[in-house]
Amino acid sequence: MLRNTKKEWLIAYILIAPFVAIYALIFVYPTIDMFFLSFQDAPLVGAGDFVGIENYERLPRDRRFGTAFWNTAYFVALTVIPGTFVALAISMAVTRLSGRTQALVLALFFLPYILPVSVVFRIWDWALNFQFGIAMHVLDAFGMDRIPVFKTTTWFMPAVAFVTIWWTCGFSVLLFLAGLRAIPQEIYEAAALDNTSRWRMFRHVTWPLLWPITGLVLTIQLILQLKIFDQVYLFSQGGRPNDNLVMVYYIFQRAFVNNQGGRAAAIAVVLFIMVIVISVINFQLTRLSERRK
Amino acid sequence: MKKFIAIAAAAMVGAAAQAQETVVWWDFLGGGDGVRMKQMIADFNDAHAGEIVIDGTTLDWGVPFYTKVQTSVAVGEAPDIMTYHASRIPLAVDQGLLQELTPADFDAMGLGQDDFAPSIWDAVSADGKQYGVPIDTHPIVLYYNKDILGEAGLLTDDGLPVGLGSRAEFTATLQALKDNSDVTFPLGSVTADGNFMFRTIYSLMGQQDGELMTDGAFLVGDNATKLENALAVLQEWTNEGLQSTYTDYPATVALFTSGEAVMMINGVWEVPTMVDLEAEGNLFEWGAVELPVIFDHASTYSDSHVFAIPEGNDMSPEKRAAVLEVMSWISKNSLFWATAGHIPANNNITAMDAYKAMEPNATYSSLTANMIYDPKTPMAGVAGPIFDVMSTYFVPTLNGEMEPSEAVEEIIYELNDM
Amino acid sequence: MTPTTIRRINWMGGAFTILTVLIAVLWAFPIYWGIISSLKPENEVVRPYIELWPDTLTFEHYWFALTQTQIGKWYINSIATSVGVTVLTVSTSLFAGYAISQLRFPGRRVLWWLILASFMVPTQVLIINHFVLMANMSLLNSWAGIILPQLIHPVIVIVFKQFFDQVPKDFREAAAMDNASEWAVLFKIYIPMNWGVITALSIVTFIWAWNAFLWPFLAVTKTEMMTITVGITQVFDAFGVYYARQLSAAVLAGFPVALVYLVFQRRVTQAITLSAGIKG
Repeated sequence: MLRNTKKEWLIAYILIAPFVAIYALIFVYPTIDMFFLSFQDAPLVGAGDFVGIENYERLPRDRRFGTAFWNTAYFVALTVIPGTFVALAISMAVTRLSGRTQALVLALFFLPYILPVSVVFRIWDWALNFQFGIAMHVLDAFGMDRIPVFKTTTWFMPAVAFVTIWWTCGFSVLLFLAGLRAIPQEIYEAAALDNTSRWRMFRHVTWPLLWPITGLVLTIQLILQLKIFDQVYLFSQGGRPNDNLVMVYYIFQRAFVNNQGGRAAAIAVVLFIMVIVISVINFQLTRLSERRK
Repeated sequence: MKKFIAIAAAAMVGAAAQAQETVVWWDFLGGGDGVRMKQMIADFNDAHAGEIVIDGTTLDWGVPFYTKVQTSVAVGEAPDIMTYHASRIPLAVDQGLLQELTPADFDAMGLGQDDFAPSIWDAVSADGKQYGVPIDTHPIVLYYNKDILGEAGLLTDDGLPVGLGSRAEFTATLQALKDNSDVTFPLGSVTADGNFMFRTIYSLMGQQDGELMTDGAFLVGDNATKLENALAVLQEWTNEGLQSTYTDYPATVALFTSGEAVMMINGVWEVPTMVDLEAEGNLFEWGAVELPVIFDHASTYSDSHVFAIPEGNDMSPEKRAAVLEVMSWISKNSLFWATAGHIPANNNITAMDAYKAMEPNATYSSLTANMIYDPKTPMAGVAGPIFDVMSTYFVPTLNGEMEPSEAVEEIIYELNDM
Repeated sequence: MTPTTIRRINWMGGAFTILTVLIAVLWAFPIYWGIISSLKPENEVVRPYIELWPDTLTFEHYWFALTQTQIGKWYINSIATSVGVTVLTVSTSLFAGYAISQLRFPGRRVLWWLILASFMVPTQVLIINHFVLMANMSLLNSWAGIILPQLIHPVIVIVFKQFFDQVPKDFREAAAMDNASEWAVLFKIYIPMNWGVITALSIVTFIWAWNAFLWPFLAVTKTEMMTITVGITQVFDAFGVYYARQLSAAVLAGFPVALVYLVFQRRVTQAITLSAGIKG
C-alpha cells in the first residue's frame, strides 16, 4: 500500500496540534518557568531579582521545610503499602461473593471514592470530632480516652492517612478485582483437588499471578500520595497547620500566604526532582522484579 | 401636562436605575456578628434603593481571608470594599494592598479624627496617611452560665462569677465547678487553635505589662518570662482538668451553648449568638464580663474591625463615592453594630444613651480602660508573621505536650529567624 | 472431599459473607452518619450520646444552603468546568492518541516520550506558574482559567493509543482500498469502534474534574465563580455552631456524583479500571 507521506504528516499535525498547544502552554512552559523562578527573589505575581541559589541554600536550615519533607515521607509510608493491602483484602472478600450481594458490597466499598475531597473532609471531621464525634462516643462506651485525632501531631498524619485509604482504596479494589477475574478458574480447581490450604493457594497461586496489578497499584499510589495536599490542608484548618505541613502545602503557604513566589518555586523544584527520582527507581525495581521471574 | 410629568418621572427613574452602583464587598464576619452585618447591608441597600447596592460575601476568617485578599490584589481582582483588622494595617501598607483614604475622602464621608478615639485613629494610620475607617473595637470577654454558677453558689450578688480578682481565686472557682459532678468543663477554651489563643495569651502578658516587641527586638528581657507565665497558667488549667483541651472554635462555642462548659473566653462577637439562642428559648441565663485579673492588673487584648479599599481595582469616581457612602453610613449607624457585641469606634455612637444602656455591653464596658493592642509593625496582626509563629507553639503548650519554657525558646528562635 | 468438610466450608463461607457485608456497611457508615446529622437541628447534633435517627427531622439546613448561599452558582460552575475539562481532554487526547498510534510523522517518538515523561510529573508543583500564567492571561475567576491547567492527563492519551493499536490493520487497509480519506477512517471506523472506551474515559475525567480541589481553590477569588467542592469549604461561616449546616452543604455537593455512580455503576467501575490501563 502506498502512503501519501506529505498528506499523512499534515493530517497528523492537525490532529496533534490542539494537544501539543495545550501541553506547551500549561505543561512545558510552566515547568521551565518554575526553574527560572526558583532563582529569583520574586513575589507571587511580578518580577524579582536574580539571587542565585539562595532560595535553595535556606532550605536545609528551614524548619518548616524539614517538617514538610518528613511529613510527606511519613504520609507516603502510612498510605501506599497499607492502602494496597486493605484494597487487596477487600477485593479478596468481594470476589468470592456473587450476584446482588457482590454488587451491593462493592458499591458500599467504592462509594467514598466518588465523593469530592471536601465532602470526605466534612464527613470525617464530624465523625472524629473530639467533642461531638460519634467515634468519641464509641470510645467513651468502651471506657477509653478520647483522642483529639486532628489536633495532635501524633495522630494527625495517621488519621489523615486512614481517611485517605478509606477514600481512595475503592480505585485499587477495582484494579485488583479485574486482576482476580483474569486468573483462570481451572488453576483454583486443580489446587482444590490437591487439598491445598487456602493460605497456600493464596501464597502460591493468587499472589504471584496478581503481582503485576499489585505493582501497578503501588506505583499509582506512590505517585499520588507524594502530591498530597487537599486532605492535609482541609483537616488543618482551625488547628495547627504549621505542624502538619506537607510539600505541596508548604509550596502553597510560601507562594500564596507569604507571597514569596521565588522561595516557593525552589520547594516545588525539590518536590519535582523527588518525584522523578522516585519514579525512575520504582520503574527500575518493577523491571527487576519482572526479570527475576 | 400630567403626561409630561409622568414621562419625566419615568425618565428620571430610568436614569437612576442606570446610575446604580454595585459595591462588591468582602468580609470575614462569620459569627453571630455576621448575621448583624448582613442585616446592616440589607438596611443600607433599602435606604439606597436605586443608587447603591452592596453585593456582599463572607469568607473564611483569618489566614484564608488574607490570602485571598493578597492574591486578588496582585491579579487586579480585588473587591471594592473589605473588612480588615486594624492590627494588620501596617503589614497591608507595607505590601501595598490598601488605597489611601485622603482628607477629602473623610470630608466626603463627614467623618474625621475627632470622631474616633486617638488609639483607634492611630491604628489605621501609617506615615501620616489614613488607610481605613474603623468600625469597632472588639475585645475578648469571659462568658458565663449563670444557671450553673448560681446553683454552685459561685455567683456574687451582682450576678458575676466569684473569683475574678486573682489567679488563686479564679482557679478556685474553676476547681469548685470541677468538683461539682455535673460539670464537664469549668472553662471552654479554644485550645486547638493557636490563632485564637493569641488573644488570651497576649492579654495575660498585658496583665504583667509584657511587650512582644521592644525597639524592633522580640521578647526582650523579662518579657520572655512573662510569656512563659501566661502559658504556664493556661497549662496548669489543662493539667488540672479545668478547661477543655484540643477544642476548636466551633466546638468551644457549642460546648458553652450546650451547657457542657460553664464559662468561655471568647470575643464579644459571639454575643449575638447568645442573644439569638436566648430569644429562641434555647439558652440558659448567661452573662459576659471583663477577663479575670490573673496577674497584676486588668488587661484585655483588643483589635478593631476597619473598612478599607483594596488596591488592584480601577474604580470610577462614582464607584468610589458609593464606597465612601457605604463606610460613612455604616459608621453613623453603628449603634446597631453594637448589638453584635462590639464597641462602636465612632465616638458619637458610644456617647448615646441608647448605647450606654445596652446589655451585656454595659457589663463589660469597664474593660475599655484596660485594652491593649498588637505592636504596630508589619510583623504583627491577625494571621501576620508573629501571630503565625507564636500560634504554632501555643497548641502543644496549652494541651500539655510541651513545657512553657521550651515553647518560649522555640518562639524566640523562630521570630528571630523570620 | 468428605460431605462434612463441604458442609464446614459452606458454613464458614456463610459466616465470611456475613462478616464481609457487615464490614462493608460499617465502611459506608460515616456517610450515613453525615447525612443523618445534617437532618437534625443544630442543638441535637451536639448531644452527648448517639442517635442513629433524628429526634426532630428537619430540612432547615438544606433550605438554608439552597437559599442563603451561592450553591446554585457553584453547581453551574462545577458542571461547566467539569464538562469543559472532559470534552477538551478526551477530544484532544483522542486525536493525539490516534495520530501517534496510526500515523507516521517526524516528531512522533519525541511526543510519545514527552507524554510518558509527563506521566511522572506532579502538576501540583506547577501551581505557582499556573497561577502567574492565568493571571497574565486574565483568566483567573473564569471558567477557562479553572479548566486550562486541568487538561494534563497523559494517561488518557496512553489508553487511547493502546486501544487504537489493537484495532486490526485489515480495517485500515480495506478503507484505503476504498479510497476513503484519513478523516473517514478516523470518524467512520476508529471512533465508532471505540465508543465504549471514549465514554468510559469521559466518565473518569468528569469524576476527576468534579472532585478537583487544589487548582479551582487557587484560581478563584470571587465566591460566585467557585466550584462546589471549593465553595462549601470557603464560604461557610468560621464561627458559631453550624455542624449540621456544613454537613448539609457537603451532602448537596456529593449527591450528584454519587447519583451518577449508583445509576451507571457498571460503566463507572469499568471506566476506572480502563483509566489505569487495565481492560476490565
